[in-house]
Amino acid sequence: MQQKDSWLLPEGIEETLPAEAKHLEALRNKLLDSFACWGYDLVIPPFIDFLDSLLIGAGHDLDLQTFKLTDQISGEMLGIRADMTPQVARIDAHNLKHEWPTRLCYAGTVLHTRGDPLEKTRSPLQIGAELYGHGGKESDLEVICLMLEMLAVTGLQNVHLDLGHVGIYRALAEQAALSDAQESELFAILQRKAKPELLELMDGYALSDGLKHMFLALPELNGGQTVLDKASAVLAQASAAVKQALADLTAVAGQLAVRFPNLAISFDLAELRGYHYHTGIVFAAFVPTVGREIARGGRYDNIGKVFGRARPATGFSADLKLLSALSKQSFQMPPRELIFAPYLDDAGLTESIRDLRAQRRAVIQELPGQTGGAGEYGCTAILVQEQQRWVVKAL
Amino acid sequence: MLTIAVSKGRIYEEALPFLAEAGIVPTDDPDKCRKLILQTTRPDVQLVIIRATDVPTFVEYGAADLGIAGKDVLLEHGTEALYEPLDLNIARCRLMTAAHKDAPPITGRVRVATKYVKTAQRYFASLGIQAEIIKLYGSMELAPLVGLADCIVDLVDTGNTLKANDLEPRELIMNISSRLVVNKAAMKMKNAAIAELLAQFEQTLAKR
Repeated sequence: MQQKDSWLLPEGIEETLPAEAKHLEALRNKLLDSFACWGYDLVIPPFIDFLDSLLIGAGHDLDLQTFKLTDQISGEMLGIRADMTPQVARIDAHNLKHEWPTRLCYAGTVLHTRGDPLEKTRSPLQIGAELYGHGGKESDLEVICLMLEMLAVTGLQNVHLDLGHVGIYRALAEQAALSDAQESELFAILQRKAKPELLELMDGYALSDGLKHMFLALPELNGGQTVLDKASAVLAQASAAVKQALADLTAVAGQLAVRFPNLAISFDLAELRGYHYHTGIVFAAFVPTVGREIARGGRYDNIGKVFGRARPATGFSADLKLLSALSKQSFQMPPRELIFAPYLDDAGLTESIRDLRAQRRAVIQELPGQTGGAGEYGCTAILVQEQQRWVVKAL
Repeated sequence: MLTIAVSKGRIYEEALPFLAEAGIVPTDDPDKCRKLILQTTRPDVQLVIIRATDVPTFVEYGAADLGIAGKDVLLEHGTEALYEPLDLNIARCRLMTAAHKDAPPITGRVRVATKYVKTAQRYFASLGIQAEIIKLYGSMELAPLVGLADCIVDLVDTGNTLKANDLEPRELIMNISSRLVVNKAAMKMKNAAIAELLAQFEQTLAKR
């Protein structure tokens, strides 16, 4: 029975039509190619996996975002990946087991139970790269540079980079010996930079004035280069871990400024997105027309521990569909030649079409009795017979 | 260019002095003209005039860089995707439960009429009370009178509307005032302009 709404797709699930698909696939190729030029090897993790391994090291958020079902063979819970990073970490920790730094990249559909608040999609095409086995700021710098390269290849201009370091809040919370409940309460408020609520909360905490002062300063520690100087003054009483974090951020930002003199860089020391997962420098890229980050990443050391090996790790990911839509605004791919051939029982014609296709030229052959022709298909040329030979004639 | 989303009415009126101190004076009066985008005396700042409940949505999407919205609206909408750095302390009122003046205290399950569905749900849950929420868009006070609900959750300013309908305020859920909210991407990309505006608003606040 043909239902009235049988064409309808589930909320947040979309199909990609020919023009977009062509653009998207071309971009995917270009991006994976440039990752390969940086030595990042492609891996293809499975679409469905044991829930436990999908949620390794991840917070409650990812748990909510994951579609679940029961495996009828093992009786275990399966999940459809909502993020490919834990799977790629497993490949590094369990399958490859290299002693040296490992560089991996991936591109594939992930599913989210709840749509992105802005893009509404529940099936982003996640593309990203991860670098395992090096804990220093040099590897942070490499993946940030690769993310910027990805955005440059995508054709995006006016990219804005935001840098943060979750180690600062983590170390402060440790220094203050906050309980888990307090820490998550404070976390929620800092995420919104809700200063009035922060003041109220600090009033209720039994902390030294010095620590309160530092927590209260966090929501204001965002902006340009001056933030780092301000932070080292304000956070002077903080532990050595905080100072190390600030020093690392300064060093990475300095290197980026040299390599990308025109890049707008800002800092946000209260940016705690992915806090439960990240352990060091975090970063995100913005462009003026989009109200949220278009690519993001950061350090997440030791996630591979449960898979057999703790390794330092850093990486980034983005939604390829969003990148493709943005790049379509900024540049069009050159139109491709498309040849229309008539339907005839002619050995010469068949051979000619085969030769053209062997040369990677696109040929559509008419079907007998069909409606439409070269014009409808948007063909740029036709195959015609001239003096016993088949030749391509531009339209 | 900075775009600020404000709702018409009390919040707009009370926000004007803050804007004026920052050199932002709208060149049109939204009550007199039908324009939805108002230019101001500062060429780099424009206002968009929208419904109060739409302010967080506009700011979340980046359709406006900043917005001024009541805490009631923000609480109901959820603000994980926004920054709310400033309490402007304007358009103050209270979010309360109210019931018929002769109604007995709540025991067991309760039926609540409100436009603040999530907030009411959370509030009663925090008291350990199972609440059935009936979403209404206005004239909440009518619901207990006609037996639609046992009580209501609504904003209370003077309490006159309640009194005129034989209702009385019961529990205070929260004191409400308007907050300044900021789009997360704008906070990063237009940091200098926004930080300046925030500082000016803070100065105005300090003077009060």
